[in-house]
Amino acid sequence: MSGQKTALFEEHLALNAKIVNFAGWEMPIQYKNLKEEVKAVRENVGVFDVSHMGEFFIEGPQTLDFVDYLLPNNIKAAEANKAIYAPLCREDGTVIDDLIVYKLEAEKVMICVNAANIEKDYSWISKQIEKYDCILSNHSDDFSLLAIQGPQTFNILKSLNLGFEIKDIEYYSIQKESDQDGSSVYFARTGYTGEDGFEVFGSHKFIKALWSQLIKAGVAPCGLGARDVLRLEVGYPLYGHELNDEITPLDAGLKWTIKFAKADFIGKKALEAYTPQYQTIKIILDKGIPREGYPVENQTGEIIGQITSGTMSVVLGKGIALARVKKELYNSQDEIFVDIRGKKYKTIISKKPFVAGGHK
Amino acid sequence: MAKIIEGLKYTEDHEWISLEGDTATIGITDFAQSSLGDIVFVELPEEGESLEATNSFGVVESIKSVSDLYTPITGEVLEKNSMVEESPELLNEDAYAGWLIKVKLNNKAELDSLMDSEAYKEYCEANS
Repeated sequence: MSGQKTALFEEHLALNAKIVNFAGWEMPIQYKNLKEEVKAVRENVGVFDVSHMGEFFIEGPQTLDFVDYLLPNNIKAAEANKAIYAPLCREDGTVIDDLIVYKLEAEKVMICVNAANIEKDYSWISKQIEKYDCILSNHSDDFSLLAIQGPQTFNILKSLNLGFEIKDIEYYSIQKESDQDGSSVYFARTGYTGEDGFEVFGSHKFIKALWSQLIKAGVAPCGLGARDVLRLEVGYPLYGHELNDEITPLDAGLKWTIKFAKADFIGKKALEAYTPQYQTIKIILDKGIPREGYPVENQTGEIIGQITSGTMSVVLGKGIALARVKKELYNSQDEIFVDIRGKKYKTIISKKPFVAGGHK
Repeated sequence: MAKIIEGLKYTEDHEWISLEGDTATIGITDFAQSSLGDIVFVELPEEGESLEATNSFGVVESIKSVSDLYTPITGEVLEKNSMVEESPELLNEDAYAGWLIKVKLNNKAELDSLMDSEAYKEYCEANS
């Protein structure tokens, strides 16, 4: 069964991309070589088509009050033109999705959500918004989205003919522009790789032209495979793996996104009363590659959790993984093992991200 | 087009087998290494282990995938190629030089059902 196609689908085919179905979309998983794509982003610059992701807008006098109530992180208190990462929680504290809010105007925000959760999020947010004087709209079909990532991103963007000047804005903030047709273009200094970079939201036409300029300028096209390795190397969670409908942000290392000092937000009571059951740990293997679902054990052979995402790190040349372990069974002094096809592999637990990443 | 060598036997799982006396050498084909991409981990059975036809005897992993290796033959492992375990990229460089294991065959007739190079070439074309 074929899925939805982004505006750049033909461009991906022309670059010989391997296409896979991801969240109902026909997406490039890799072009020539996954390792080279990861290296391009760490050392130079790469571009990802992530147009499958969803864009919602909330507009109206009570926008900031509402979004501050909807999400546990500080939205209202953040400065204008800032981007804020947050989990979207239910009353019981479980996670519906994780997303980024972009503060566009005093009475307008854009929210970027995971492709697989567009309908779930939209339905949840529309129920919560009823009492507030603001309106939710889903513009996911109107926007294409490119993530341009790597230390050379800003220099490359500056050298292009965009019709306006790209500014050296702060990490996690946004520059608003209009293209020659009058459509909105948003340059956000955000990303999912740990490197400096921009995510550019624009009309399909604008983004197609930008893609072609980037490819002509020698920017490496990168697929979802490289994107997953890059985010895992810097320890970022992925919904459906480290986060899901059953657990709270406190079980997944996202305590920093929960602002208990705020007067109220959905899930506040439940999260205040909640003792985390799980902890997310970072695992390195000298030999073997940990994969999602593999059991994690202590030295007595007791299963204490499982791998939620694992891969071979391109930068380290070693197997790396995030694992969700039961707090009551995990002691950071213990030796921890991963069971790979019946063999036990000793792990190194990393306190820091596997790779530092170069973002500001 | 993937490289296919005349005189070898091939399986539907994209392994090649060469025969000398009653010793079979098993490896993965150029088609297999090319569809896997960068091979970063190889796990092989130890010398003396017995293999049963159609069972898994090891794995090859790329950055994003794990693929089982299936033996088409029954027999005892005489030797494994430790070089490819240490340097899995050898399989990407030359899949026919980077053999995986040598097996003492119990039943040569098991090889009869495998493809020759012509049949394997057609099989690859139909599967690419």
